[in-house]
Amino acid sequence: MDNLLEIKNLHARIGDKEILRGIDLSIGRGEIHAVMGPNGAGKSTLNAVLTGRPDYEVTEGTVLYDGKDLLAMSPEERSWAGLFLSFQYPVEIPGVTITAFMKAAVQARRKAQGLPEMKTPDFLRLLKEKMAFVQMKPEFAKREVNVGFSGGEKKRNEIFQMALLDPTLSILDETDSGLDVDALKIVADGVNALRSPEKSAIIITHYQKLLEYVQPDVVHVLKDGRIVRTGGRALIDAIEKDGFDQF
Amino acid sequence: MGYGNYKDPFAGLAPAYTVGAGERLDLTFVVLPGESRDIDVAVDLVGEGAEVNLRGLYLTGGDERVNFRVLMHHRAPGCVSRQLFNGIAGGSSRVTFEGRIVVAPDAQKTEAYQENHNILLSDQAHVETTPQLEIYADDVKCSHGATIGRLDGDALFYMRTRGIPEDEAKVLQMLSFLAPVIPAGRENEVEQAVRAL
Repeated sequence: MDNLLEIKNLHARIGDKEILRGIDLSIGRGEIHAVMGPNGAGKSTLNAVLTGRPDYEVTEGTVLYDGKDLLAMSPEERSWAGLFLSFQYPVEIPGVTITAFMKAAVQARRKAQGLPEMKTPDFLRLLKEKMAFVQMKPEFAKREVNVGFSGGEKKRNEIFQMALLDPTLSILDETDSGLDVDALKIVADGVNALRSPEKSAIIITHYQKLLEYVQPDVVHVLKDGRIVRTGGRALIDAIEKDGFDQF
Repeated sequence: MGYGNYKDPFAGLAPAYTVGAGERLDLTFVVLPGESRDIDVAVDLVGEGAEVNLRGLYLTGGDERVNFRVLMHHRAPGCVSRQLFNGIAGGSSRVTFEGRIVVAPDAQKTEAYQENHNILLSDQAHVETTPQLEIYADDVKCSHGATIGRLDGDALFYMRTRGIPEDEAKVLQMLSFLAPVIPAGRENEVEQAVRAL
């Protein structure tokens, strides 16, 4: 069976600086992969390129998502196709409530898929259900997106959005940074609950903490813009013990 | 003397509104695309406890010219004035906003606020904003602020990763920026104008 994500010889730069220098990475359906690496290894760039952030230029290589050319798709098209990014630093959107934001997201995707608009009561039921799932207080539905949220509340909001949009491939960028243990468990529960034979996730991190709660199937070490080692969970222990210098 | 060619932008601007003791004036100015306008507003607060709320919303495109002159003159004690003008300039339009708050020596316990925020949608659009305070009393609360910015690229990207198309993300951001100055009942009209920008 074909892989969900197939990255081949990916090179990317921002400005004149080449950051990714030939990444090869295959993610099978139903798998959770951890990509670990020190600061400056290219973790954020990898995630930026996969989600289509402007300003990053791919100079070489290909990325196939579900057999399609991911790099040719706009960020919104990637979302409609089932890609989700949990941001390291979720963005504040003053004046837009979580309800309005998610409603716009859900309706835009349905429109792109040729489906009729979801009825408001159905949407509100879905919203409520997913907020409860991540233990988000109901009053957050009326809060402006991420405005005045604590670090933990922002991450919880990311996982809430992930649960609601029900992605096929989730990318979690340093989602475990700045989280206390309770919030970490919420994130982990969210990721674990989305596990299924069709759904995959990439956890990009340099901490081991989240990986205590979410068991990755495959672990990659990213260093100087390349995958320098791929293995199982034993790699996490090796990193914990001896750091990234050993690679 | 010493001002060279300086010409007071407010010279000759006669008060169009006089607000007396205990009275209140609420005014909202809406300029939608399709016309060039000069809007002059001069308000005198002449009686104790007068209150004035001015709001303005402007959307400009093409080669339109919109010029605001707003003069708020506190002449009596204990008055409050609040001003909020938010606008979006696209195309090669030009907007000027000149706002002045004057607090006379007798107008103690004045509260006066003025804010003007702008978003530029194109490199050719041009906004100049000059808020000014002239305060001759010592026991007052006054502030003014002005910003000129662009749509927030990080917020647009964030919305797009959630599946909101770029154009729709821009509309959402513009409407949230304008929300504090949209008059009740004109939401649809403003939304249509924003979508057409």
